[in-house]
Amino acid sequence: MQIIYTDVLVIGGGLAGQRAAIGAKRRGHDVIVLSLVPAKRSHSAAAQGGMQASLGNCLGAAGDNEDIHFADTVRGSDWGADQEVVRMFTHTAPKAIRELAAWGVPWNRVARGEREITVDGQRKTISEPDAAHGLITSRNFGGTQKWRACYVSDGTGHAMLYTMSNQAIAANIPVHERMEALALIHADGRCHGAIVRNLMTGELLAYVARATCIATGGFGRIYRVSTNAIINEGMGAAIALETGVATLGNMEAIQFHPTGIFPAGILVTEGCRGDGGLLLDCNEHRFMPDYEPEKKELASRDVVSRRMEEHIGAGHGVKSRFGEHLWLDIRLLGADHINNNLREVKEICQYFLGIDPVRELIPVRPAQHYSMGGVRTNHRGESPQLQGLFAAGEAACWDMHGFNRLGGNSVAETVVAGMIVGDTIADFCDSTAGALQLSSALVQEFGERERRRLAEIANGKGRESAFELARLMQETMTAQVGIFREGERLEQAVASLQELQLRSRNIGLRSSAPGANPELVTAYRVQRMLKLAQCVAYGALQRTESRGAHYRADHPRRDDLNWMRRTLASWPSADARLPVLTYEPLDIMKMELPPGWRGYGARDYIEHPDTGVRQQQVDAIGGGLDRADRHTRQEALMPFRHLLPEHLRNNNERLGEES
Amino acid sequence: MTGKLDRGPARADILQSLSGLLLVLFIWGHMFFESSILLGKDAMYRVTRMFEGEPLFGKPYPLLVSGVAAIIFVLIAVHAVLALRKFPGSHRQYREFNAHMGAMRHPDTTLWYVQVLTGFALFFLASAHLLVVFLQPDNIGPYASSDRIWSGRFWILYALLLVCVHLHAGIGIYRLAMKWGPIPAAGSKVARRRLKLAMWGIIAFFLCLGTASLATYMYIGRDHAPHAGERYLPAHQQALPGNT
Amino acid sequence: MNRIPLRQAARTLRIQILRHNPRDPDSQPRLQTFEIEEADAMTLFIALTEIRERQDPSLQFDFVCRAGICGSCGMIINGRPGLACRTLTRDLPEQITLAPLPAFELIGDLSVNTGKWMRGMSERLETWVHSQNLESLDIDAMEAAMEPELAEQIYELERCIECGCCVAACGTARMREDFVGAVGLNQVTRFRLDPRDERSDAAFYELVGDESGVFGCMTLLGCEDMCPKDLPLATQIAFLRRRMAATT
Ligand SMILES: Cc1cc2nc3c(=O)[nH]c(=O)nc-3n(C[C@H](O)[C@H](O)[C@H](O)COP(=O)(O)OP(=O)(O)OC[C@H]3O[C@@H](n4cnc5c(N)ncnc54)[C@H](O)[C@@H]3O)c2cc1C
Ligand code: HEM
Ligand code: HEM
Ligand code: SF4
Ligand code: F3S
Ligand code: FES
Repeated sequence: MQIIYTDVLVIGGGLAGQRAAIGAKRRGHDVIVLSLVPAKRSHSAAAQGGMQASLGNCLGAAGDNEDIHFADTVRGSDWGADQEVVRMFTHTAPKAIRELAAWGVPWNRVARGEREITVDGQRKTISEPDAAHGLITSRNFGGTQKWRACYVSDGTGHAMLYTMSNQAIAANIPVHERMEALALIHADGRCHGAIVRNLMTGELLAYVARATCIATGGFGRIYRVSTNAIINEGMGAAIALETGVATLGNMEAIQFHPTGIFPAGILVTEGCRGDGGLLLDCNEHRFMPDYEPEKKELASRDVVSRRMEEHIGAGHGVKSRFGEHLWLDIRLLGADHINNNLREVKEICQYFLGIDPVRELIPVRPAQHYSMGGVRTNHRGESPQLQGLFAAGEAACWDMHGFNRLGGNSVAETVVAGMIVGDTIADFCDSTAGALQLSSALVQEFGERERRRLAEIANGKGRESAFELARLMQETMTAQVGIFREGERLEQAVASLQELQLRSRNIGLRSSAPGANPELVTAYRVQRMLKLAQCVAYGALQRTESRGAHYRADHPRRDDLNWMRRTLASWPSADARLPVLTYEPLDIMKMELPPGWRGYGARDYIEHPDTGVRQQQVDAIGGGLDRADRHTRQEALMPFRHLLPEHLRNNNERLGEES
Repeated sequence: MTGKLDRGPARADILQSLSGLLLVLFIWGHMFFESSILLGKDAMYRVTRMFEGEPLFGKPYPLLVSGVAAIIFVLIAVHAVLALRKFPGSHRQYREFNAHMGAMRHPDTTLWYVQVLTGFALFFLASAHLLVVFLQPDNIGPYASSDRIWSGRFWILYALLLVCVHLHAGIGIYRLAMKWGPIPAAGSKVARRRLKLAMWGIIAFFLCLGTASLATYMYIGRDHAPHAGERYLPAHQQALPGNT
Repeated sequence: MNRIPLRQAARTLRIQILRHNPRDPDSQPRLQTFEIEEADAMTLFIALTEIRERQDPSLQFDFVCRAGICGSCGMIINGRPGLACRTLTRDLPEQITLAPLPAFELIGDLSVNTGKWMRGMSERLETWVHSQNLESLDIDAMEAAMEPELAEQIYELERCIECGCCVAACGTARMREDFVGAVGLNQVTRFRLDPRDERSDAAFYELVGDESGVFGCMTLLGCEDMCPKDLPLATQIAFLRRRMAATT
């Protein structure tokens, strides 16, 4: 087995991975990035709508700042997020976007003077001020008080990922493409790199590193209907889980996006609704105002998705031979707007549905979209359990999304996390703890273990089809661990997944072709995916409340009294049939924004006694400082700047705001 | 930067296109003059004399024509040498391109191949024609030309040359426009469609014109066959006795 | 009320695939035919996945986003390059022939190594913003202003997904292995347009001023016609040619 040594191994070539790689490289460490696919094909490229950063340049964003972004994100998370991390994030997001701007992302810009917009189904004319001309503009997104989603037409993620990748190429960072990390090499609470399979030749290699960073994106493919790329199978989270030591956080927190095209699940961006698109039912009636009179189509994703399913459940869905769906209407935006600003949407409709959204309605239904959960890390991106292991991006749970992520906060997170974690990794490598210290016997042992596992599948005489098991898992998850969850169905799901897990030890292959062998790939991945799926289903079963995207029909209220805590899942024994769940409390007494009503969705929740106490404290501190500037007031409530790398601590400059 | 750019490739590309452009302009002009035969023998006679410099010098100097032929030959040589670089250079390249063209069924790719083939043919056909013009510059005229075409069987050469050169020139001009043309991206699809239409129109026009004049030469040549070699006298001189 | 266009009579598709596994010493390139029932709104992604799951698990192909945005799934579909994931079978005849993109290293069956090619292209053409002040960037300060139209123009050219269709569609690229292709030329025009990139025309000339660059393009226009993102490749290459020809 070939062994490759490097300082830093980044598993994942999406936005998060590449930004972290650039950060570590700039500090003088050798970095290798692994990716299942060429880096520019990572799923970050699919983000269409935008990146949240409180620049406050355009009219709709005027007055925006970190405080409002913070409040929106915490509310969006249904108070499940780590507020310190949210602060770090909202503070760094403007820096991230400005860095990307200098690196070459062609962000759309504010144009001075009048233009027409569509708000709430009405056409309006607004006029942008001269001062903002040429600065980065932003659009409206669900769950936010300001227009904060900065965008590049509807190819935001694409433009960001290409710029990021090009900078990584400029920095001479090698990306080892079509390489899949199969297992983390670790001993005594220290991670030393990964065993990796070459997806072109089938060969196994060891990458030995001082620091290993998981940035493998989401795991949407444990669901049947998902907006995710088909490579989003969560292998990064799975190999962390399989160490038996590292934990995964809040795996039950799965987001469903309201507008996956029906039935393929391909996403049409939230920008459609942000720009003024409407949701209609079988009578072409606009139903969202009936449920959410304030935010209507632009309530947060979990709310809109649930309302849509509820409306379908009430018999207002459009019937088709694939099942029921609703309509998304963007006709009112006009041909110009659609052809210029929503071109990707237009193409998707044309190529996958054969319709023209300028004239026709788009069939949509909520689809799995985002995994808030992932490899649990602290605010610096370090795994608390495995030294030398880091995580960033969708694969991680440093927990800035809690139980629901806001649209546009994810690509922003990837870059911000990359900036912060890149520094953390460099600090670690510079420290004595970061020295390379392992025996080659350990590497051989892990390599041998993976080789045996693959050989067992390849030579086993099992009868189970890997493809079939994958399909059954996906169907179970979509049917029983979807938008509406309920105790009994979750129990069934847990049981079905356990059964599938047993069956997955009996997979037999029909093909033994040398090289990539796609059947073998499915086989070893499905074994791991089943564990992730179980973490989701079992976590959802245990969490007897509704919070953010996790909605229990049998426990419809948010329960701060019992559930102000984060789920941690681990899988200590390889043969175990269930993960071990532990819970980590969220301390209300430290929160800058104590739990309350989100401003949309259900108003009733079970309050925690601390909430009132903390709220009083917060009011008192705020009241005592009413003459101080907002930064001082914030600092008094919940200091966070000391948590950031030094070069990210300064205030952000803004139009019309002294810093 | 270094300040020592290798301008060779840029020059070569410009020269290839420029030589092509000049040749096209020449050949189009040439077609109008040469088809003056359609307007009658006298018209053609006058055009011939004009090119021999009679209006300028008071008497014809056929060597002028040789000179032009030489210049054109040089142009063709330059153009051909430059264009030859683009030919499939090895058997492998040729196979690749052929397979590619066959599978793609893509008009503009196929048109390029037509250009290569016609260019290759032109190499011989045009050289032959130019050689004749160069060596016997005085042997051009309503009867001289017709006799060559009919009695000398040059019509075969010309028929081939006609088709080749106009396909090559028409496609070449279209390619030049696409290759260099400052066409705004917004309307580029429409512009290209129009250019393509224009290309076919021009090719068709010159093929018709050429066929008509070639036919005319052939008729004249056939009628004149018994007196082949005899030179044409313009109408105003035919009346004068003793002028042979 | 259903407006998802449906095809009534189901067809049986005969999908011919050029198979070859270079890792297998016994493998010879060959055409293999699979028959499958066409379904509504079936794309080649769906069809190929079904073939792999039901008929031949060793079949290799690449899909990532399956939504026409990542550029992974370029292949030759009935003779022409295109994105398989967004090709509806109903737009194709019953007999469909699939082959891997030529001009790229074959990984197996329909899978080719476009990633390696594109990375090489990027390194060679230095497709990133070259700027002195990136080192000492002040990310706390306001971003530099840019004309809104210019930003949009840059994005127009940035939409390329590096699928390789333009390379496979280009006779020049087929004949000359070192040709950077329309994808490379387009990226150069993208950075030339970008005011943040401080490179001069002379610097760009060093990158593309030869036969493997812009002067190698023979204006075959297959790139323009096959680009799934409809990039204005012809006008960009013409533009670059003019600029480079005028560079001294
Ligand atoms: C359709 C769609 C639209 C979206 N739109 C938006 C939006 O508008 N705004 C927004 O903020 N967010 C959006 N999101 C979410 C956002 O795009 C993602 O959360 C984010 O891009 C994830 O980035 P990442 O870097 O964490 O992972 P990814 O970009 O998914 O990258 C993962 C990388 O890991 C590699 N990898 C995975 N497993 C392994 C392994 N075992 N070994 C080696 N490498 C591996 C992959 O090859 C890949 O390079 C959208 C998501 C989807 C699905
Ligand atoms: C001796 C014979 C000739 C040969 C071998 C030849 C060959 C070619 C070839 C192969 C090309 C394509 C070059 C490319 O794609 O880059 C070409 C282009 C062209 N040819 Fe010729 N040709 C010949 C004579 C002529 C003549 C007589 C004319 C004019 C009537 C002409 C006009 C053109 C034009 C305008 C172009 C386009 C130029 C360009 O692409 O830059 N050629 N020629
Ligand atoms: C100085 C250069 C040239 C002169 C003086 C010249 C002159 C003539 C003349 C007089 C004829 C009539 C037939 C004849 O007399 O044989 C003719 C025919 C023709 N020439 Fe040329 N020619 C020249 C160059 C060329 C070139 C470079 C080409 C193309 C590559 C060309 C293509 C043709 C063709 C196709 C015909 C036949 C026309 C028809 O079908 O009507 N000539 N030329
Ligand atoms: S230019 Fe078009 S065809 Fe070429 S790689 Fe880019 S998107 Fe694909
Ligand atoms: S197909 Fe090739 S030759 Fe030029 S115009 Fe396009 S790159
Ligand atoms: S799979 Fe991404 S473009 Fe086809």
